[in-house]
Amino acid sequence: MSHFTRGRKAPGWIKAGDVVLVLLVLAAAGVSMFMVSRANASEKGSLAVIEVNGHEAMRIALGSGQPDRKFLIHGFTGVNTVEVKDGRLRISNADCRDKVCIGMGWIDSPGKTIVCLPHRVVIRVTGKRGGKGKVDTVTE
Amino acid sequence: MTGTRRVTNLALLVSVGLVLSIIESTFPPLLPVPGAKLGLANIATVIALYLFGAGMALEVTILRSLIGGLLRGSVVGLFLSFSGGLVSTLVMIAIFALFDGTFSVIGVSVTGAVTFNVVQLLAAYLLVRNAALFYYLPYLILIAVPTGLFVGFASRRVTLSLEGLSLQSR
Repeated sequence: MSHFTRGRKAPGWIKAGDVVLVLLVLAAAGVSMFMVSRANASEKGSLAVIEVNGHEAMRIALGSGQPDRKFLIHGFTGVNTVEVKDGRLRISNADCRDKVCIGMGWIDSPGKTIVCLPHRVVIRVTGKRGGKGKVDTVTE
Repeated sequence: MTGTRRVTNLALLVSVGLVLSIIESTFPPLLPVPGAKLGLANIATVIALYLFGAGMALEVTILRSLIGGLLRGSVVGLFLSFSGGLVSTLVMIAIFALFDGTFSVIGVSVTGAVTFNVVQLLAAYLLVRNAALFYYLPYLILIAVPTGLFVGFASRRVTLSLEGLSLQSR
């Protein structure tokens, strides 16, 4: 690289510093991912809204103080069983063909949704624990 | 380097950067963050840094983010890419000048890519003031690694190809 004159600089081949740098950056990504997921875990949703065919059918309080329970949602063409446990919610059973909603598993953080398309059922988690969300109180 | 040569080289590098960002804008967005992109245009800055030095690299970055922002017509995009570009170029210059023995062009461009993404996220946070934005931080840092490597290898290739060319003599 001796032809590089004044003002120019050879780009160089990979040095040990580059490898260390990339590893450090990957570690930083990992650490920040860990921190973000921890921050998110402490911010679970406190309310689930269940909609059937576009209309709100039910509101369910989630969160730590709430009792575990199971109930039926009568959808457009069938029935889904909703299970609430440890502040999380899932569809545990459904009489539809594909059972996609069951496969969506547990949801608990704001913005997460479960959709059962054949029954036109949408379950959405909103709000934050400790208030300051869109909901002041929840009545059942 | 005479004034005319310098202006011509600067214009060439700015054009390269603009064309790269236009090509890049045709790709689908990687993340739903305003301004989160591959950063291919950084190739122009890295080439400028290695061929002509720190001053040229800064000029290329400032001009291409200003002109690019005007072309796209988005004030928010201009603010994000200008702040990200300026800070990442300054950091790249520092690495380039101070740690010559430690890092090659690959390290310089990876550092630039990471800084660019992180500063853009901070700038976006200043605009919307929503801490939920930091949810994207890990992914932005992660994406910066492959793009930084790609930009580094591409710039290395170009710089070596232009080695024999008399860009600044006469």
